[in-house]
Amino acid sequence: MQHIKSREFSMQRSTDEHEGAAAALHRNATAQPVAIGMRDVNKYYGSFHALKNITLRVMSGDIVVLCGPSGSGKSTLIRTINHLEKHNSGTITVNGIELTRNSRTIQAVRAQTGMVFQSFNLFPHLTVLQNCTFALRLAQKMPKDQANDLAMAKLAEVNITAQASKYPTALSGGQQQRVAIARALCLKPPILLFDEPTSALDPESVGSVLRIMEQLAETGITMVCVTHELGFARNVADHCVFMENGEVVEQAPKDRFFGSPESARLQRFLAKIIH
Amino acid sequence: MYFDPVLAWNSLPLLLTATARTLSVLIPVLMLGAVIAVYLAVIRVENRRGSGFVAAYVNFFRGVPSLVVLYMIYSGLPQFSLVRDTWLWTIFSQAYLCALMGLTLTHSAYMTEIVRGGLAVVPKGLTEASAVLGLTERQTFFRLRLPMAIRYALRAYQNEILIMIKSTAALSAITIVDLTAAANSIFDYTYDPFTPLLTAAAIYWCLTNIVRFFFSTVDQTLNRHLIAQTYS
Amino acid sequence: MQILGFTQQMLTGAMVSLQVAVCAFIMALTIGAVAAVLTLRQKTVFGAFWIVYASVFTGVPSLLVAFFFYYAGADIIASVTRLSGAEKHVDLTPFIAAILALGMVYGAYIADLLRAAIRNVPKGQFEAAAVLQVKKRFFVPLIIVPQVIRIALPALTNMWIVVLKDTALISLIGLKEIMAYAKLASGVTKEPFVFYLIASLFFLLMTSLTYYVSKNMQAWSDRGAAVYGKD
Repeated sequence: MQHIKSREFSMQRSTDEHEGAAAALHRNATAQPVAIGMRDVNKYYGSFHALKNITLRVMSGDIVVLCGPSGSGKSTLIRTINHLEKHNSGTITVNGIELTRNSRTIQAVRAQTGMVFQSFNLFPHLTVLQNCTFALRLAQKMPKDQANDLAMAKLAEVNITAQASKYPTALSGGQQQRVAIARALCLKPPILLFDEPTSALDPESVGSVLRIMEQLAETGITMVCVTHELGFARNVADHCVFMENGEVVEQAPKDRFFGSPESARLQRFLAKIIH
Repeated sequence: MYFDPVLAWNSLPLLLTATARTLSVLIPVLMLGAVIAVYLAVIRVENRRGSGFVAAYVNFFRGVPSLVVLYMIYSGLPQFSLVRDTWLWTIFSQAYLCALMGLTLTHSAYMTEIVRGGLAVVPKGLTEASAVLGLTERQTFFRLRLPMAIRYALRAYQNEILIMIKSTAALSAITIVDLTAAANSIFDYTYDPFTPLLTAAAIYWCLTNIVRFFFSTVDQTLNRHLIAQTYS
Repeated sequence: MQILGFTQQMLTGAMVSLQVAVCAFIMALTIGAVAAVLTLRQKTVFGAFWIVYASVFTGVPSLLVAFFFYYAGADIIASVTRLSGAEKHVDLTPFIAAILALGMVYGAYIADLLRAAIRNVPKGQFEAAAVLQVKKRFFVPLIIVPQVIRIALPALTNMWIVVLKDTALISLIGLKEIMAYAKLASGVTKEPFVFYLIASLFFLLMTSLTYYVSKNMQAWSDRGAAVYGKD
């Protein structure tokens, strides 16, 4: 009864009908036990079978690391979650919202998921602060002062407030990536997706970014990371997923994953990476 | 709006003669311009004596429309008795030679920049490698750097030639009956504004596409080594 | 003294040249921007039309196009208005014919240029804006357009100079701009070299001014742009 009432209420409140329906989707997507559910997801690039029958579950609050050799489909997988890549079959559900080709579900899913890219993708002609407040002011219609305060708070979380009025290319790679993380955090998403966040960084910067990610992991946010940094996985991950050739070869809780890998392919992969 | 095919057909001889006249100016200009440009580009790139003068030359002739240059040579220079009353007059009284000079000056200025740009993209490491291998500077330049520069500059060169074809329309101002002037003369005679201009446009279009086709073939031959080989 | 008087005339002519160039460039920018956006996706109806349009207008001297509009413009307008019943006879002045010709020809070049610039904006910029849920109508003008301008600015500056110089050629259709007055003055004073030199100086001045202004514009639009070699 109350559930239906709150839906009516939220629909009455919105002036734009389209936004109202989408807003309803957002408001009713409370943190479900299953943050991300993928069942039998397939993706093709032309005739190339990039993702083969992926079935995966990410529980709320989990830290999941996706690893595997290059070309295994890990980036493709994570990019299908927020519809940067379209999946051809199967279902993807994020916090109760099923992701379809419909723009309403896409927007709703993207409201649940923040993303940090390998190449940062900061807006080069905006300052660090403006990068963070951009979405707050334009997507969430937040007033300027409130947006600035929130952005500065998030920049403080990643230790980069001193650079707030600089342009991205005045910063090092590690600093830029931390700004990108802050930018994603400003929208307070319950789920954060990381697509090889440290692969484009020089070795010194990798450490600073990983530290921030470890801090974030402790806040209870759900994180899915595609990364080669297995040290990070060992420290912080709850579950690990190994992919090869577009398939999920093995997924297990961290200790079992590293301690007693079942499949031969994973054993070979770990042997090559870890010495 | 009407197109008169009969008139178009009948005006072809006149238009094609004018085209030939245009090309008789254009082709020497292109050849002269290229040679001068290589020479000037080297001066600029190697920063030899006269580099400043070349820079000024390039800036002047790229900044001033070719029409002005043509007028200056054909109408302007004869103002001076030095030109009018000496042997120079045998040259400057001829519209054809004035046209050659004027267009070559402009074209060579643009070409210098194009060649310079092409040379700049040749990786310095290659020059150093060939020096170490014992090639002389001249050999390195003509057999290594220039051929590579030409490959890189091909697109810019194609564009420049297309622009030159179109700037030959300025020749009508110094009494050379080029294709545009010929089309105009037919209009003056027949008062048909569509047919002669459209026919001339068609001829220009053919010239343009011949050039484009030629360059695309050259590009494919010269750069076939760049096409990634896929082995199974 | 005579030279001074004619120079003043030439200044009026120079103003006309500038007016033609500015109007034509704005028209070319508009046509180019619209065409670039509409031809981003391959194989549309407009795409096919544009291929023909671009092929024609970049394959023909702008002077020819100007003559066409000047001589045939009235006929074209008459034919078009005849379709809607009331046939209007409007003679195109050289001024209008020049602007139309230059605008349509350089619109084709600018479309090519802008399309390449748009394609060169890193795809990640679009993706970042999409995952931040900013609607297209906000992020296109605020994120994409500034970057397109930054990438396209050098080529657009060159195009402006080309358009300005082409107005000189278009004077041959009878447009009373700086070249026409130079010719007039030469005829009267029998000192053509002086006046053509003054005309040259005008164009050189405009070129230098353009480079100066564009350097400043580039500095502003390049703010935050990648410094090569640093990552």
